[in-house]
Amino acid sequence: MTGLFSISQGHSVLPVVLPLLAAFLMQPLGRVARPLALLLGPATLALSAYLLIRLWLAYGDAPYALAIGGFAPPLGITFYVDRLALLFATAVPVLTLLFWSRGEDDADPLRRDAVMLLLAAAATGLALSGDLFNIYVFYELVAVASFGLVTLRATGAAYIATVRYLLLSALGSVLALVGIAIVYLQTGTLSLAQLAMLAPDALQNPLGLAPFALLLIGFGVKAELFPVNTWVPEVYATAPTRISALLAGLVSKLAVIVVVRLLVLAFDGTGATQLMLALGALGFVTGELAAWRARDLNRMLAYSSIGQLGLVFVGFSLGGTAGMLAGLALVLHHLIIKSALFALATRWRGALARLTGAARSAPVSAGLVVLFALSLIGVPPLPGFWAKLLLVLGLVELSTPLALGALALVLLGSAVEANYLFRLVVRLYARPDDASTPALPKPKLLDFGVASAAGVLLLAATVSVVPVSGWLRGVADQAADRAAYIDTVFPTTLVQSGAR
Amino acid sequence: MSAMGPDSLSFVVVMYVGAFGLLVIGAIGMVMSNHLFRMVLALVIAEAGANLLLVLSGWRDGALAPILGTHAADVPMVDPVPQVLVLTAIVIGVGVQALAVSVLLKIHRIYGTLDVRALRRHLELDICRDAGMAPEGSREAPAGERPLPPPIPVADALRTAATDQTGATS
Repeated sequence: MTGLFSISQGHSVLPVVLPLLAAFLMQPLGRVARPLALLLGPATLALSAYLLIRLWLAYGDAPYALAIGGFAPPLGITFYVDRLALLFATAVPVLTLLFWSRGEDDADPLRRDAVMLLLAAAATGLALSGDLFNIYVFYELVAVASFGLVTLRATGAAYIATVRYLLLSALGSVLALVGIAIVYLQTGTLSLAQLAMLAPDALQNPLGLAPFALLLIGFGVKAELFPVNTWVPEVYATAPTRISALLAGLVSKLAVIVVVRLLVLAFDGTGATQLMLALGALGFVTGELAAWRARDLNRMLAYSSIGQLGLVFVGFSLGGTAGMLAGLALVLHHLIIKSALFALATRWRGALARLTGAARSAPVSAGLVVLFALSLIGVPPLPGFWAKLLLVLGLVELSTPLALGALALVLLGSAVEANYLFRLVVRLYARPDDASTPALPKPKLLDFGVASAAGVLLLAATVSVVPVSGWLRGVADQAADRAAYIDTVFPTTLVQSGAR
Repeated sequence: MSAMGPDSLSFVVVMYVGAFGLLVIGAIGMVMSNHLFRMVLALVIAEAGANLLLVLSGWRDGALAPILGTHAADVPMVDPVPQVLVLTAIVIGVGVQALAVSVLLKIHRIYGTLDVRALRRHLELDICRDAGMAPEGSREAPAGERPLPPPIPVADALRTAATDQTGATS
């Protein structure tokens, strides 16, 4: 399968299938040819990324749907591929490859690689799937794979953090399952496209808010949503830092995308958006306040990631293309910055006090931290500013009491965020206490490269803010278009609309 | 659900109350319990409730199990889709529970307890030790933050650098 083969729409299943296949082949291949098995994971992911980029180039203009196994949509499972799905599906193999775990633990590399591939396959499926129960299954696969990865350091603390994460996640899954059962009771279907057709009659009423709330809390566990995020600091402080980077940067975003798809297609009533707005704003302010108190780098980044995801939920709750644009800008911004900060934290993990004067031994890394901090706070020319500006403008335009309250919380949280990030920056450039603090190890070349690439990407986006926002608006337009989703999955919708 | 006798109606009501009852018992058990293994058991109960609810969503009055070839074609069947879904959900649930119990075994081997309060203290201490800092509120790290030393003025830095060099040469 090398060289330039012609790409077709059917290839969009391969980024899910190939990593799964490779994960199962890993052990038998390891018995026969171990070096080959060690190469299998990165090679599969590289191939997936290549396929997705080809698909983006060939079919990025119009969304298309794929009936898995040839079973027609309402009964069979569909993959819905639009720019939003392709964007996040491409991010999965790329980021998994960048954070391919090496040397942070002494687990058997083949087992670890297999679990990483499972995570990549399930996460890609989460981005592409157009069937509620299929999404649930992929979500559970992501969950189980992440439990395995979090325990990689095999310390007692990691096991405690994992089991608490597992129990909360399982409770969330039960709630999501109840939500799915209620949706099925009310509509008799689980295909997202058919749900979108039936939603105006069946789901957009007070009874429809119940399944949305259950699904929001259920999928919100991975998305670090406000009341169900207690696992985040514990897990990010005890897991290998690269795994934390993947969970914070990538997996949380895919859970958000699932919730957003559900919101746009089936639950576009006001109650659902208000719930998301309230939980998001509370998550932002509580996350930032907790980060302000954190004394070690990993937990500071963890709490800050809770805060940023709260902001993302506020963005998506604005509704319409404007809300989608604000949310997507925040999602991508956080995806890049938090991945890069965790990449730097691979060697800088531990107490913040250790970082005093780190700028002397690692000037470029410290400079990158300053850049990321400024963008997170939202200092004008940087992309973070534009993302936050879109959010604030959307909230002002909404100007309901709830939106204005959320606006106040967002501004308050940003002030807190500025305070602790500037404190971190000042610490990096402060005079080291005395000779007692040992010199910090420099980040590994790969991690340093990831962080630098993120910095360059951020600066490039700063310079070319107009084309980037235009491109993002295109993605947002497509993702917010419910009619297009229905038409794509059911091309003969006029015949089918009276089906039930 | 048109022609429904009083018997089947009360049957459905009992089943729904049972499903939500199991869910509530499980959820309360998970939140209120202080022992990890009891939390896992509560999770099992909650999952049973969710699975029952899922099966109920496909239930039809007087219908048979959806198995081809066991009865005449004109006899009504219950909706087969939720039955397929619930099979998947049960398998996933069992897998997650098995994983949870295996991690519990490791925890018990390391710490000798499954009490949540004790384990949370262990977790905090371990994270602090791993990070190389004293636990919060201990004598080494009382609440609040110490001020940072001021940055070095440029003139001072240049002077010390110069004296360092002269010191090295002389």
